[in-house]
Amino acid sequence: MRRISKFGWLGGLLLLLLGGVARAQLLFPPPEFESGYRMPVTTTPPGRALWLQYLDVGVLAACLAVAVWLIYRPRSRRGIFWLSLFSLAYFGFYRKGCICPIGSPQNIAYGLLHPSYSVPVTVVAFFALPLIVALFFGRAFCAGVCPQGALQDFFLIKPIKVPAFLEHGLGLIPYLFLGAGIAYAATGTGFVICRYDPFVPIFRLSGSFFLLAAGVSFLLIGMFVGRPYCRFLCPYGALLKLGSLVSRWRVRVTPETCTQCRLCEHSCPFGALREPAPPGAPAPIPGERRTLGWLLVLLPVLIIAGALAGRALSPVAARLHPTVALAELYARQQQHPVVYGVMTPEALALARMAEQPGTVLEAAADLRGRFRLATAIFGAWFGLVVGIKLILLSLRVSRTDFEPDPGACFACARCFSSCPSERVRRGLPVVTVQPPVPAAASALAK
Amino acid sequence: MPNPPKSGQVNPVSRRQFFRNGARVAAMTGLGALTGVLATRGTAAGWVWQIDPAKCLRCGNCATHCVLEQSAVKCVQAYAQCGYCQLCTGFFAPEPNELTTAAENQLCPTSAIQRTFVEDPYYQYSIDENLCIGCGKCVEGCLRFGNGSFFLQIRHDRCLHCNECAIARVCPGEAFRRVPAQSPYLLKSVAK
Amino acid sequence: MSEPTVQPVAPGPPAPPATPPTPPTPVRPPDPQRALRAIAWIAGTFSAIVVVTMLYFHFTAAANDPWKSPQLLALRARLAVEPKNEAVKEQIRQLDFQFRHQFRQRLARDRFGAWLLAGGAALAALVARKAAESTRTVPLPQSERERLGLPKERPTRARWTVAAVGGVAALVLVATALLLRTSLPADAAGWRRLAGQVDAAPVAALPGLAEVQANSPRFRGWDGGGWTTGTNYALVWDRKSGQGIAWQSAIPAPGHNSPVIWGDHLFISGGTTAQREVLCYSVKDGRLLWRRTVEKVAGSAAKLPEVPEGTGFAACTTATDGRHVYAIFANGDLAALNFDGTVAWAKSVGVMKNSFGHASSLAIWQGTVIVQLDQGESGSSDSKLLAFDGANGRPVWQQTRTVPVSWATPIVVEAAGKTQIITLSQPWIIAYAFNDGHELWRAEALESEIVPSPIFAGGLVLAISPTSKLVAWRPDGAGDVTKSHLAWTAEDSNAPDVSSPVGNGEFAFTVSSGGMVSCVELKSGTRLWQHDLELSVQASPAIVGDRLFVLGEAGAAVVLSAGREFRELARSQLADKFLASPAFAQGRVFLRGETNLYCLGPTGKDQ
Repeated sequence: MRRISKFGWLGGLLLLLLGGVARAQLLFPPPEFESGYRMPVTTTPPGRALWLQYLDVGVLAACLAVAVWLIYRPRSRRGIFWLSLFSLAYFGFYRKGCICPIGSPQNIAYGLLHPSYSVPVTVVAFFALPLIVALFFGRAFCAGVCPQGALQDFFLIKPIKVPAFLEHGLGLIPYLFLGAGIAYAATGTGFVICRYDPFVPIFRLSGSFFLLAAGVSFLLIGMFVGRPYCRFLCPYGALLKLGSLVSRWRVRVTPETCTQCRLCEHSCPFGALREPAPPGAPAPIPGERRTLGWLLVLLPVLIIAGALAGRALSPVAARLHPTVALAELYARQQQHPVVYGVMTPEALALARMAEQPGTVLEAAADLRGRFRLATAIFGAWFGLVVGIKLILLSLRVSRTDFEPDPGACFACARCFSSCPSERVRRGLPVVTVQPPVPAAASALAK
Repeated sequence: MPNPPKSGQVNPVSRRQFFRNGARVAAMTGLGALTGVLATRGTAAGWVWQIDPAKCLRCGNCATHCVLEQSAVKCVQAYAQCGYCQLCTGFFAPEPNELTTAAENQLCPTSAIQRTFVEDPYYQYSIDENLCIGCGKCVEGCLRFGNGSFFLQIRHDRCLHCNECAIARVCPGEAFRRVPAQSPYLLKSVAK
Repeated sequence: MSEPTVQPVAPGPPAPPATPPTPPTPVRPPDPQRALRAIAWIAGTFSAIVVVTMLYFHFTAAANDPWKSPQLLALRARLAVEPKNEAVKEQIRQLDFQFRHQFRQRLARDRFGAWLLAGGAALAALVARKAAESTRTVPLPQSERERLGLPKERPTRARWTVAAVGGVAALVLVATALLLRTSLPADAAGWRRLAGQVDAAPVAALPGLAEVQANSPRFRGWDGGGWTTGTNYALVWDRKSGQGIAWQSAIPAPGHNSPVIWGDHLFISGGTTAQREVLCYSVKDGRLLWRRTVEKVAGSAAKLPEVPEGTGFAACTTATDGRHVYAIFANGDLAALNFDGTVAWAKSVGVMKNSFGHASSLAIWQGTVIVQLDQGESGSSDSKLLAFDGANGRPVWQQTRTVPVSWATPIVVEAAGKTQIITLSQPWIIAYAFNDGHELWRAEALESEIVPSPIFAGGLVLAISPTSKLVAWRPDGAGDVTKSHLAWTAEDSNAPDVSSPVGNGEFAFTVSSGGMVSCVELKSGTRLWQHDLELSVQASPAIVGDRLFVLGEAGAAVVLSAGREFRELARSQLADKFLASPAFAQGRVFLRGETNLYCLGPTGKDQ
């Protein structure tokens, strides 16, 4: 902080010196004061101090460690809940949702392709730490550290079960969003993932009407559909999902051997719990092998089709880039002129461009070239995601216990307390069995 | 372990375990390489957003597009460049009724510019940042007829340092850019 | 709160769902469930009310931006009319205060509302969670299919959903692409056209000064001063016999610009609302070699500005550097044409705020085209001085001028060791450096609207303040030289309001619209003589050797002695209307009339 304010002081001094040099060019020369008036110096209040940025990284690391410990040692839902409230307060309402790992893949992509932007160390840490944890312990970040997740989890009141097929279908969207976010960051357009984060405006208690409405809508839906953003949109969640699919340790419902009592079956509000394969040799489902074969053939077809389609759509995708958008406005103005008001942003932008249309157009043409590559890659990624998902759905299940799907599990620890073994371990009252009600049973048999 | 049901078929669990381990090692290596590359090229302090006054077109978007209700962009005064004019065209509305601080004479919609008498015929103009909304009207006024000592800057004590600045996205002059956090201001220094 | 006290059921068919705990006794103990639910509902309703209130305020506040209030604007307009009305001032102050107060209030209210909402929603959620947890029922832990002994379902439905979501996402993207068609060209040539660049052939080298001086490359001769040293000009002719008229040629396009001559090429421009064009004639015989319409210029506004007929779309004289001919029109189209009539480049400098129509001619110096675009009000930064590279049309530099609209043409002069561009507009004479456009000096000298162009004669910059005076400034100053570098002022109520002065190093002459000729000594600024020719004159006078050539609007050409005393030497007549200034080159005089172009001098037979 001290260093920065010194910079400000130096800047002010420099300004005074240069002001003296520039005097001859000013329309009204600065006066020579006789009353001993001392000219104030333009203040330069510094931004957030560096040590506070490191503190953020420290808090993140500590929260991740605590989350992992809570999930694997005391296996405490209560602990995770309180940790998530702390994260909501710190990363959400205190840090106003900015700095968060969700947008960090964009910084990484932008930094790799734009040498003028070196990715700050804190951003690298925010990108890498939750991913490393996911590779070893699963989505501990989602469980107790992510403020967006904590906010949605807080508002989850009466979860309904999303049908598995729908869950699979909508589960594609995060990968597409991630691909689009990285493509736009890589082309230097902007950070669309940050732009459309619905919860950050809530943390700030101000923002655009559209985003605030979106955030509130997500929370209202989230009262019944657990964590809708995390499951069906979050691009960083998609990365964590991939990471935790291959994680070293996994969240298990039971601390011991699963007795297949099925009491946990409906305890997950996020539809992550999977039933085991039927005991004995897996019964082959008729026709599945052939389908799998066809899907394997389909995969490269989807990738190529996606790449070609993406390339064809690149001119429209490029319009989000401000420079291309300006060139577009200029070209439209040539064909169908529109009169914009005096001092309106459009008129000013057009006037700026009219001075050197060639420069802007050259930049726009160059950007369109880059977009052709970026959207082709995005299209291929689109095809790959759909194809792989279809193939994964056709593989045989080899699960032997009731356990959470490692990718979908947020490690929220809700299911633990429904396991009788866990209840015994923690000295909680064991479940009572109620007498059957024939009417209900017959209704179910229909 | 019992014999596999069919010859040539390995135990699926162990095969999957093997695949997972391999994938994890690969992911760790990739992540390590990525962070390694980024760390060697990275900066400690990072970046903040700032307005280049040479590119600013005074369109008024700064007042309306910041994620904060009252924009983090404020007008600042480069005193060394100011003419201390009695008739300041950044302060007074065009063709002011009188050269007083009365509302009908002021250009600033929030009366954020303080006009104080220094000595005849000079007046000092400074900005009350709590009132300023960053609309840039005074900047335009000063630039058109005066020395151009008013200009817009992001004030970093107010800025939330969004990863993507919401005003930068709509700036018609592409005047917003990331600057190193150690030198977070682009002050006007040489008159043009 | 997070350990649900669920009441699960044991496995084994048939199992019932958990029944809600309904006590059998009619007298019910206080039920914490009901209380929790009630609190949740109250907090939820409260939050909903806060949301509705905030939405109401949001939309009403957005609908009436206080600082655009018609009430305030009306009051301000009234104050402008009645500057002494204290009541109006008081009303403005009140209103302004009210608006600012409302603005601060709105910020505070939004903040308060947001916290209120956050609190209400948090409480509602917390209580509702509690209530929901304690009544959570667990469904049967067995799927129907399994219980009925059916084989495991194929994951067909999931696959189709995945395919459907992928398909819908792809469709949305394609539909967006089809709806948002791009206006940008598809091929590289289209991009270059859009940028106003045409693939030009390699351009020839710049002509030397001698070649420039032998021609008439711009408005009023090679330096814009309207003088020529040649002695072999006849300046007299006979309309009836045709003696002294080399040729005359019809002009098919209207315009008030003067001819520009380079070698065997004579250029004029013409323009109507329908089309703007450049015409090229043969100097030898007056044959129309080509005419080229300037159209589809990149950046040109589709709607033409309204220009009075008296000015027209082609009031600006063209300019040439021997490589291209450059033309500008009142709609802001600027074009460079090759000598064969093909377009080298074209661009728009924008429609000008000029109710009388743009009329400043182009200046040319060493292959650089100088465009003075004075427009709009004084103090606005609409006016500009632009420099383009003649070879390719690329901007070299530009300067913003805070001057109002003017119709004068800039001149480029070598003075005080610098190449200076001299511009006029009320009230300033401003000199700019030719190489980078920075301002060298300025002098406050002119009143009323400026049409006459400056000249450089006898080491002085001369400018006319219409119907008031002729002024002379020394061009070696820096900064504001209003007081320091004024050479002299010649007050003259007959100072022209349209035509420009002319000088020969010793004397300067002006001709007013009414035909009053004045002679001023350049050294001192004293007026030597004044004589009324009783002619209506719009064209600027010219000096040819030791003679002064004055062209009347109705076709009378008067030759005077350019000397210390008034002496009329000759008078000739043509049957046409003349607004454009004459051009002199190769021993011939070129006049542009309304209908015909005239070449006066030795005929082909005479030579």
